[in-house]
Amino acid sequence: MSNATHCSDRVALDLWHPVAVIEEAAPGLVHATRLLQEQLHYALFADGTAAVWRAEPALRIGDPVEPGMLPPALPVKLAYGYVWTSLGNPPAELFAIPEWEEADRRRLHAATMGVKVSAPRAIENFLDMGHFPYVHTDILGAEPHTEVKEYDVDISVERDEILATRCRFFQPMASTASSGGADVDYIYRVPHPFCSVLYKSSPVDENRLDVIAIFVQPIDEENVRAHMMLCVLDEDNEDKIIKRFQQTIFGQDKPILENQYPKRLPLDPRAETPIRADKSSIAYRRWLRDKGLTYGVIPAAA
Amino acid sequence: MFDTSPHRWHPIAASSDLVSRHVFHGQLLGREFAVWRADDGFVNVWENRCLHRGVRLSIGINDGRELKCQYHGWRYANRTAGCTYIPAHPADAPARTITNRTFAAVERYGMVWSAEQPEGEVPAVAGMEEGGQLVLRPIPLNASADRVVEHLKSYAFAPSAALDAQPVEMAVEGGGAFSVALLARADGAATRAAFFVQPVDSGRSVIRGMLDALPDGADRVTVLRHHNQRLTELRERIEREAARLPAPEPMQPAIVPVSAELAEMPELTPSGRKAALRVQVARKWQAAEGIAALELRTVNGVLPTFQPGAHIDLHLPNGLVRQYSITNGPGETDRYVIGVKREAASGGGSACVHDTLRVGDVLAISEPRNNFPLRRDAVRTLFIAGGIGITPLLSMALALDHSALSYRLHYFAQAESQMAFADRLAELKGNLVPHLGLSPEATQEKLRETLSGYVPGMHVYLCGPGPMLEAARAIARDCGWPESAVHFEYFKNTHEIDDSSSFEVALARSCVTLQVPAGRTILDVMREAGIDMPSSCEQGACGTCLATVIEGEPDHQDVYLNDAEKRSNTKIMTCVSRAKSARLVLDL
Amino acid sequence: MIKLYDYELSGNCYKLRLFMSMLGLEYESVPIDFYPGREHKSDWFLRINPLGQLPVIEDEGLVLRDAQAILVYLAARYDTSRQWYPVDDPRRLGEVSQWLSFADGITATASAARLHDGLFYDRDIEACRTGAHRLFRILDDHLWFGEQEGCDWIVAGDRPTIADIACFPYVILSEEGGISRQDYPAIRRWCDRVKRLPGFIVMSGVFPAGPAKAA
Repeated sequence: MSNATHCSDRVALDLWHPVAVIEEAAPGLVHATRLLQEQLHYALFADGTAAVWRAEPALRIGDPVEPGMLPPALPVKLAYGYVWTSLGNPPAELFAIPEWEEADRRRLHAATMGVKVSAPRAIENFLDMGHFPYVHTDILGAEPHTEVKEYDVDISVERDEILATRCRFFQPMASTASSGGADVDYIYRVPHPFCSVLYKSSPVDENRLDVIAIFVQPIDEENVRAHMMLCVLDEDNEDKIIKRFQQTIFGQDKPILENQYPKRLPLDPRAETPIRADKSSIAYRRWLRDKGLTYGVIPAAA
Repeated sequence: MFDTSPHRWHPIAASSDLVSRHVFHGQLLGREFAVWRADDGFVNVWENRCLHRGVRLSIGINDGRELKCQYHGWRYANRTAGCTYIPAHPADAPARTITNRTFAAVERYGMVWSAEQPEGEVPAVAGMEEGGQLVLRPIPLNASADRVVEHLKSYAFAPSAALDAQPVEMAVEGGGAFSVALLARADGAATRAAFFVQPVDSGRSVIRGMLDALPDGADRVTVLRHHNQRLTELRERIEREAARLPAPEPMQPAIVPVSAELAEMPELTPSGRKAALRVQVARKWQAAEGIAALELRTVNGVLPTFQPGAHIDLHLPNGLVRQYSITNGPGETDRYVIGVKREAASGGGSACVHDTLRVGDVLAISEPRNNFPLRRDAVRTLFIAGGIGITPLLSMALALDHSALSYRLHYFAQAESQMAFADRLAELKGNLVPHLGLSPEATQEKLRETLSGYVPGMHVYLCGPGPMLEAARAIARDCGWPESAVHFEYFKNTHEIDDSSSFEVALARSCVTLQVPAGRTILDVMREAGIDMPSSCEQGACGTCLATVIEGEPDHQDVYLNDAEKRSNTKIMTCVSRAKSARLVLDL
Repeated sequence: MIKLYDYELSGNCYKLRLFMSMLGLEYESVPIDFYPGREHKSDWFLRINPLGQLPVIEDEGLVLRDAQAILVYLAARYDTSRQWYPVDDPRRLGEVSQWLSFADGITATASAARLHDGLFYDRDIEACRTGAHRLFRILDDHLWFGEQEGCDWIVAGDRPTIADIACFPYVILSEEGGISRQDYPAIRRWCDRVKRLPGFIVMSGVFPAGPAKAA
């Protein structure tokens, strides 16, 4: 484990990171969070703007603040229900999720949860289907339907993101409308080293896909806050029912993630044993290696 | 800091910690272990991470024969720690080199001892008799081992026969860097205690103590409580002292990388017809009328992990090489049991096994090879065995039975006396359906009955004489079974091999083009050119010498591939099949 | 039918789901958005439980809060075997009550640590963890000596009691609060035994055990 007190990884510093849920922070007050081992403060304002700054003694948590009286601010973006910031020089744009704009979708923040694992381990688990029958038993999968069928993985150079398509997995209760199981289609995007977006067959409209995203805020190299966003077609269920489903799933992943050793993701191909089902994870590890990311990973020996 | 030698034996658990179907979470010098006892009593001490994604195996499931990872259901066998099943790819046999790291495990004085690279024997403890000692409740504590050892020298207790005696005369009788031997005397009674301090990590330890024999009249639990009370008080003192100092950095045990071969996605590993293992016939008995059973045990080391459906090549004293399926159930990794039927038309293989082999003989065998892998994702599995075809299916049925998966084993035999391995069959209870003494017509009728009622998700595995397999495959087709759900293994290829053609074979990856003349096989010609290709039966039955066809039309003469595979012209058995086209390009 | 005001990730709600499953009781789960919605602090919920805590049950007009109290009620009202809450055996009944309070201590420490780490509650995390380890040492010691006398459960006897149910959830979830159970081998074995009880169910964060012996 590295004992550095600050993040010195340029790649991680220059990323946009989610640090707060817009709907949860009372406006006009100082709130606190951590990012890449740094203590940050932030505030949202009635006019819909937000500010994030490195914590300093003059302002304490809970103090009322106004936009004019803030210390030098960090870059800020408001997107997908979250406040995003960066400790370096972030790109002009955050990755796009076009479905977010579709008027008939429900946009929900399901929860933010603390997990004792590195951000890349959390993302890799999000991309994984083989664990459905074992970890999400009777929800996303069930024995004996354990096969991970062949799927395709591409790294888009132009968009600098990983795309896994033609993913299918047997789901015991494929939709509320049918009582039997069926293959469900998935598409996975990794547009950011610590964020992933999943598209999944919509139970209500066979021509469209539900969107479930995980945005991981690295607190340090081995601890994260995972923010879960949903953007789904569902007119029947209350928000809390949809949130409960997502929290149940993530709550099942949590003890697996917290029992992975080492906590940081090893990028050396010989650290772990991939199988064909792990194509997306192989691509993800290679992509991180090519970016030169060192935060939350164990870099491959040169 | 204390001595962190990887060569020194340390106790890492009490024998009583390893209860049935449990996984104990151990640690030594910073390295975590998953420690579990199989139903056969064997104690496994493994690196506490699944080789796939590093998940702790101490949260996995000990099913008595295998340890199952909670994350993706990978199964690792008792004793060998070899992976036997990867549920994400149910149709594949896992590469048998996926083997978790194992550590020495010796049970002595009621404790389990281990070391990373042990040297010598587990130390003998003066005054302790194996089996006679009383093992105390282990006391984990947050302090370094050397500090704990120092404090233990002043540990005071009363002799077991005089727990209330005052005063007690204490003497340090011996000890070492991680141990202290004490003697307590009072009122004419004496008790000897030996303590071992397990260095869990730099700042964490476990005190593992034992007393010499419990005297008559002393109450075991009272004695245990006596020590537990005093050791707990000692712990408080040691921890208070340790807490005043900065906590030492945890140790960082190195994780051994997996082999380069495993780091990439699996590819064909080249190897010829090899007999890498030496085994001894440990037992030979009559498994049924006309069927000899052999129990083969390793001469040194451990046997490689097998999967249900796997076979070995047995190199017989008369120079013949024959293939036999392993009949073992899951986790039975200390032996291979095979069944050999005496064939009237024997070329000398079965006769040699029956008449010549004796207990104690040493034989060469190949590593187990699995060309008949068992899926475990079926909604229901049928096994149809004819005669000695029971052998691979028995192993498969035992595996599904142990995992409580739905299956039936239909066993066609001439008479009950000819049903092999009756004791193992009895374990299958109602899932075994014998069909005895049926005529060929009645067999067909029974097969039709058995194979009717196909629903998607079912799989059938067939093994038996050629004509029965042909019939069963045809009936399965009639009953709507897709070829992908019908798996079969022939004993031998009874087809007349036509080797009159001559053609050219190009090996794409090796950049070699070879001429195959009439009368020679692709395999022969490749071997001669120095291309190493695994093979086993060399008659188109076992599936070992399979190659991928990139271009050209094969002339299939094997009985391994199913019809769809043959029609697709993408696979070829290089030991018997040839080319209809003038040229074949293989992915080799 | 019994109505349970419920939150999936709550170990205290799980106690009741688990126990009702073991008793074979049907119930209706009313999901409460405990996190992030804090619905248990909403006006409508405070009218049901002024303490603003989960779980609460309603049964035949009775509104009852507090997981341990509800276990007592369910056992006394619905357990025809009389094993779970041994009202006819004063000694064991006293011990059950003793361990129900102990379970409250586990909630105050191990569950608080989990809320801190997972859901960012403001707690003194070191005090929570230290407190949980202190309790786990006592429990491990107790269970180890129980094993020596052939007893599998927290309260001596052939069968488990609601003391086992009350203590189990926040013990098995402790690692989410950074409290390892590696040093408590007797607790780890007892967890396996609880998982093998008929009617056992899991919640998010709890893995099932395999069968205790060959099928």
